Amino acid sequence: MVRPAPYPSLALALAGLAAAAAPSPGQQAPPPGFTVPVDYYKLPNGLKVVLSRDTTAPTAVVAVYYNIGFRNEPRDRTGFAHLFEHLMFQGSRNLGKFEFVKLVEQNGGLLNGSTRFDFTNYYQVIPSNAVNTILWAEADRMRGLAIDTSNLNNQRDVVKNEVRVNVLNQPYGSFPWIDLPMRANTNWYNAHNFYGDLADLDAATLDDAASFFRTYYAPNNAALVVTGDFDPAEVRGWIQQYFGPVPPAPQPPRPDLREPKQTTEKRFSQVDSLAPRPAIGLAYHVPDRYTPAWYAFGLLDQILGQGRDSRFYDEVVRKRGLASEVNAGINYGLGSMYDYDGPMLWEVTAFYDNDKPADSLIAAFAAAIEPLRTRPVASAVLARAVTKLRSSLYSEMEQFSGFGRANLLASFALFDDDPGRINRLESEFAKITPQVVLETARTYLAPSNRTILTVVPAGPGATRAANGGRP
Amino acid sequence: MTATRAMTALLLAGALSLASASGALAQKQSPPPVGPPKDFRLPAIRELTLPNGMAVTLVPFGRVPKVAVTLAVQAGRINERADQVSLSDLTAALMEEGTRTRSAAALADEVAGMGGSLDVDAGSELTTIGGEVLAEHAAGMVRLVADVARNPLLPSSELARIKADQLRALSIEKSQPQPIAQDRFRSVLYGDHPYGRVFPSERTVQGFTIDQVRTFHAANFGARRAHLYVAGVFDAAATEAAIREAFGSWAPGRPSVRPVPKPRMTRSLTLIDRPGAVQSTIMLGLPVPDPVEPDYVALQVTDGLLGGAFGSRITTNIRERKGYSYSPFSSVTNFYRQSYWAEQADVTTSETGNSLKEIFGEIERLRSEAPPQAELHGIERNLAGIFAVQNSSRLGVIGQLQFVDVQGLPDSYLTEYVKRVLAITPEQVRAMAQRHLRPDRMTIVVVGDRKTVAHQVAPYVRAPGGI
Repeated sequence: MVRPAPYPSLALALAGLAAAAAPSPGQQAPPPGFTVPVDYYKLPNGLKVVLSRDTTAPTAVVAVYYNIGFRNEPRDRTGFAHLFEHLMFQGSRNLGKFEFVKLVEQNGGLLNGSTRFDFTNYYQVIPSNAVNTILWAEADRMRGLAIDTSNLNNQRDVVKNEVRVNVLNQPYGSFPWIDLPMRANTNWYNAHNFYGDLADLDAATLDDAASFFRTYYAPNNAALVVTGDFDPAEVRGWIQQYFGPVPPAPQPPRPDLREPKQTTEKRFSQVDSLAPRPAIGLAYHVPDRYTPAWYAFGLLDQILGQGRDSRFYDEVVRKRGLASEVNAGINYGLGSMYDYDGPMLWEVTAFYDNDKPADSLIAAFAAAIEPLRTRPVASAVLARAVTKLRSSLYSEMEQFSGFGRANLLASFALFDDDPGRINRLESEFAKITPQVVLETARTYLAPSNRTILTVVPAGPGATRAANGGRP
Repeated sequence: MTATRAMTALLLAGALSLASASGALAQKQSPPPVGPPKDFRLPAIRELTLPNGMAVTLVPFGRVPKVAVTLAVQAGRINERADQVSLSDLTAALMEEGTRTRSAAALADEVAGMGGSLDVDAGSELTTIGGEVLAEHAAGMVRLVADVARNPLLPSSELARIKADQLRALSIEKSQPQPIAQDRFRSVLYGDHPYGRVFPSERTVQGFTIDQVRTFHAANFGARRAHLYVAGVFDAAATEAAIREAFGSWAPGRPSVRPVPKPRMTRSLTLIDRPGAVQSTIMLGLPVPDPVEPDYVALQVTDGLLGGAFGSRITTNIRERKGYSYSPFSSVTNFYRQSYWAEQADVTTSETGNSLKEIFGEIERLRSEAPPQAELHGIERNLAGIFAVQNSSRLGVIGQLQFVDVQGLPDSYLTEYVKRVLAITPEQVRAMAQRHLRPDRMTIVVVGDRKTVAHQVAPYVRAPGGI
């Protein structure tokens, strides 16, 4: 099948690895399910630190999140946040080019970095006896980079090849993960090509990198998370020793990311000369995070879009045979509903056949959605959605050997100063009533709140429409 | 295990001080050495065999209240005739369409109510049936998996729709350069053996009948060909009782016949035109010893050092030095009694020839010179660490056990693996490359823009001084 949209990321995605999590004895009893231990504090330089101990396996995750994502990169430097992510592996005060990678691998670890809407992250899954070593290495590159022109040029070439392999040389390469935000959003921060135009990548300089690093890679703009099998006192000591001396930096005002309210449906079509079949993507603006409507939307996503019991599956796949599956999600392809900070889309996509009009898909989606906008959902359906959501939340926390848990803790620390939120999500979803679901569906699943994009295979002789047909 | 891991830590300290001494006499600090390793505890596994021959493995694991239930049946591409390519996939897809007592929709609702999904997937040797659900539903999930495995409806009413789905997926796969390369590579290597048949023809898919699907299911699904794995948090007694009840009366079925291929071992280069492609997709490799052969573990280490790890030689060369490629990698792919090694890379079109030069250069260098001890130990520790990580999740544990079961390896394979990896010497690695990674026997497939690439790859049609 079509592979999922790739994250802009350093390297090879980790294979499906996960680790189980243990509740820590002595913590207060949780609502249903289980509790993630959360030990949260800040260093004097502003670095947010979350420790979450789990002795199930002798492994650990070290993750550093910087509160700078591709939304916020400089206007004439599209793709810069991601290019910069690559530079973080090109050398620091005490580690030469690529030595960070080798240090992690030689200690039995896996690593990656990635650039998302609102953060850039760096993480390692390691045997637990390597925590000290890896904390030192992460602090080393937070203290300062040592990058020269040849490294910059080399990573520019690597990033161009990343864009080629993931976008330019693939059918549906930019669909939907780059294309839909560009069409549905109007604020430049949310609507530019964050993988980068190749010309903008060429324009990036070492000075750009130095100033970007000084501003955004300061400890007061970052969160450090350690999960797994470690001694908390020991780890606190190492963190103080390595990260404590890194000086903070003044932060510029955050840009205004707000999207004006969409009032009419938008439709676009783009030609893809590599694609053999058409595809359709719908994007709806979702409610603000942590409002009742946002929790209700998470449940609507379960009811409509997740699994073979979902309404989209029933209408589009089983009843009408238009597609083999429907993919849907908030922050789809680049994360989940828990790891962003700003306006966001719920995206729905399907691949279908050349002899079917896009309207047949749109009608099938409507047949699934409209009943939810006209009468309250049955309580059994809502209960099943809560169950599915709880189970998927556990799965998300377990992703990549516990990296998923670190991802949520880092996001909640970075964006909300509240990593303990991880233990309150279940009960917040459980509070949502059929009436709230109905009101949310009425408002946010209105056709006027959506953008529809179709990808059309080219006839012979058409040229490749890369980046959604934009220059 | 503990002794082995303690040794690892000591070796590491040596490697690091060596690295800093060889640096430019610098003021640079060395990283703090890793601490003493912790014991790796393998979960307590319970294995049993039902009277009808079905194998069962129960692995209590972790604390997250979820459980994985996977039934692996020896039925897959290996059981297809030449005119049946992808019949196993069609059968798997139709098995998701309901049972004699549960409609597809009822099945979907029921498993969703357990917090999970139930998927049927066909591979080369195995069809797996199962999924992950919340812990309290382990026994219920066992019953659902049994119903799908034993009593699928295989409804003719859904056949046309599922075939259309498969044809759509096929046409999309055939528009992607990596699957195109994979299809040709395997076809060159294995010819008309099932392992050589990746893409079915459209006509084949269109021609399948529901009788063929039902016959395939009847012939290939049975207790003696099945192994049930349950891993995670579950009530052991209730789950075991459900297993005995749900699977106890399943007929044993016929034993699996798995022909062993005679792969091609001669140098060849195939260029597949993809006009205007901005990258060339390269896949090159050859058959290598399979997991039951003595060289297998040493070959894993060799692969890691050459191209498997992110910090490996080929990746460091064509990515970090040359910038030709983003995510090149090598790997060993295992079938039953058959494995191949391959390097795969998507490279800048204009650097296609240079990429082949660098890849073969790294292969030849390793064949002629034993790697430095420190570099090798780094790779060995990497493989040891990844092994621990792989064993630290429900599906990871099931995957490891399934690998051992499919390949017919002794249980000691898993317990001895790390020790064996750490014992491989530089000269062994060189010898592995010399013996098994012979460029004069390699199959090369390049998918790219023929008019730009043809002259670049021409020098690689034959091995230098080729045989």
